[in-house]
Amino acid sequence: MKLLSSFKKELILASRGFYFYVELIFALVILAVLLFAIPQNFSGTSTEYLYFDLPQEGVEIFTNQILADDLDGESEMVEIEAGGKTFNAELIVTDESETYIVNSEEAVRMLAETHGNIGAVIELNENNQLHYKYYLQGYESTRLKNLISVLHNESTDILEERFNNQDVRPLSTGYEPLSDRENTIPPLVAFSGSLMGMFIMASYIFLDKKEGVIEAYAVTASSVWQYLMSKIFVVLLTSVVSGLIIIMPIMGFRINYGLSLLLLLTTGFFASSLGLLIASFYNNLTKAFGVIYLLLIIMMVPGIAYFIPGWGPFWIKIIPSYTMLQGFKEIILQNGDIVYSLITSAGFLAAGIVLFAITNIRFKKTLRV
Amino acid sequence: MMLKKIWTIFIRDLRVNTREFMTLYMIIIPLVLAVGINLLSPGINDTTVNLALIENENTEQAAYFDNFAHVELFGDEQRVEDRVMARDDVVGILPKDNGYYIMTQGNEPESVLEYAKLLNVLYESDVQLEDARSEIIEFGRTVPPLKKMLVNILLLLISMLAGMLIAINIVEEKMDHTVSAVNVTPTSRRAFILGKSLTGMVIALVSSIACLLITGFYNVNLGQAALVVFSSTILSLLIGFVQGINSDDVMEAAGSVKLMFLPMAGSVAGYEIVTGNWQIFFYWSPFYWAYKANDMILSKSGNWPQLVLFIGIILVICGAVYALLAPRIVRGLQ
Repeated sequence: MKLLSSFKKELILASRGFYFYVELIFALVILAVLLFAIPQNFSGTSTEYLYFDLPQEGVEIFTNQILADDLDGESEMVEIEAGGKTFNAELIVTDESETYIVNSEEAVRMLAETHGNIGAVIELNENNQLHYKYYLQGYESTRLKNLISVLHNESTDILEERFNNQDVRPLSTGYEPLSDRENTIPPLVAFSGSLMGMFIMASYIFLDKKEGVIEAYAVTASSVWQYLMSKIFVVLLTSVVSGLIIIMPIMGFRINYGLSLLLLLTTGFFASSLGLLIASFYNNLTKAFGVIYLLLIIMMVPGIAYFIPGWGPFWIKIIPSYTMLQGFKEIILQNGDIVYSLITSAGFLAAGIVLFAITNIRFKKTLRV
Repeated sequence: MMLKKIWTIFIRDLRVNTREFMTLYMIIIPLVLAVGINLLSPGINDTTVNLALIENENTEQAAYFDNFAHVELFGDEQRVEDRVMARDDVVGILPKDNGYYIMTQGNEPESVLEYAKLLNVLYESDVQLEDARSEIIEFGRTVPPLKKMLVNILLLLISMLAGMLIAINIVEEKMDHTVSAVNVTPTSRRAFILGKSLTGMVIALVSSIACLLITGFYNVNLGQAALVVFSSTILSLLIGFVQGINSDDVMEAAGSVKLMFLPMAGSVAGYEIVTGNWQIFFYWSPFYWAYKANDMILSKSGNWPQLVLFIGIILVICGAVYALLAPRIVRGLQ
């Protein structure tokens, strides 16, 4: 009962403050950017420059092969600049790439060097065989260079036939991949909502420390944990509301909101408790800032692994935000792993309770620190 | 006289700050992040595809795949299956009666599956690295794009850090009543502002150069980079001041700090993700121009006129923000 009245009081105080609205505006702006500025799918397209130093028939064969995948079946004549020069090019746009076919090797070299993309020249050698010359930047990994160097050892037709006959056995089916826009939701919700709770919670505590609120609790009938918990509830409420503002318009009714709510609450509770614990070691925000800032940055590193599917060293997986991101992803995926999200929620709840208990002991002992 | 007072505040701030957490953080955090970027980027750049195979089943095949992909070996088929089912993208290549089949979890991106299929085709076709037929010409660049992007973000973070800390620092000085104490000294408010900014500016500049050196960008034009950091830090400091002065408590300053992240993160995302004409929607953001200018410097692709244009735009935006906010700063200090 005391907890509820503390929460009500905190909520009224928060609603008069500036922060509460910042959080909501922040979520609305993110939503607007997601809906209007970020394309449904933005990754996976590459740009390449090609020059066919071949007889006209050869040029046509190669061009038609690429053109077969063009989105509207027609190429477009464009001008493209590099190194202060303008080159004419035939542009072919497919689902996966933008290919510029140019008229000279110099154009390929300059375009590849200036724009940092791959370039290739296909010509005939002295034995009248096709010879492939690739222009790379130099930072590409040895493994990728190895692949490029052997790509044309065997005839493309044979490779293609064998490629199409590969026996692929998926262990599970019915997987619907997320669009790039949907895929950006988990990091935004996790970082903007849940993890920022850590920073905001610490700020709340320092404010009250400064004003002697925590000491005042020693002479009231209410206990410190109820006071701390009511603060956490306010942060949780804002992170849930802002999280839902981002999720709902994009995902509609396709996802399980019970699970979303559960994960938002448990991850928010974990982050807030962590913020509380850090706050218990310092007496102002400037001093605590470094630790919180560094922790936030460390928590953001799994975001890189999230967007680069092939990269996921072991140490990334033990950073809590990795599980957080995967948990949110499972929720918005069709046929996502519900059990994983539930276990993740339980884990964050348990970790949050432990952190909260330690913090409570620290605050009770010192009453201010 | 005015300059002397600014200098005195700067020196006093520097001396006080070296004993304080604020400066320490402003210096240490970027350096730690720079080292972190160095540790992360080689692994990320080496990423192609991860394959899981059965140990000792075909050692020659494992060695072959290792030339093109990361290979992990497991005791038996069940362990490979467990690995494939893990949350990251690993593809198994396992023996069947007449060759090998590809085991996937079913949720891998198309590119991962295609890469694995291609490698298996190359192996089955006995395509050997020694017989490589393609010629590769390199431009000698050593820094991968992701590292460049991370360093660029780090440079923006450094200038923002200066603004954030100034904001929090001022709120705390206000709560300790040291700001109002300035009013009874011969120091003008403008001198107070400039003196305080100088500390943030010097530290931001030194940290940025140090980070560029640590992350291996020693052959970029450091002077150009310093100019961009200088101009974007002016803006962060301005915002920091206004937030610090107009926030009554640390909670409000914290909210403002979060708000500052938005234009920065938005500008980076805008530059990297948003294509074509939509970029126009980010032209108002000085962080967009700072990111663009940094990108040009880090990739050594720009020239002075372009750089001057970008810095000019940042300074014009700063000037507009200052004209808008100067009265509030002066009023706030009263």
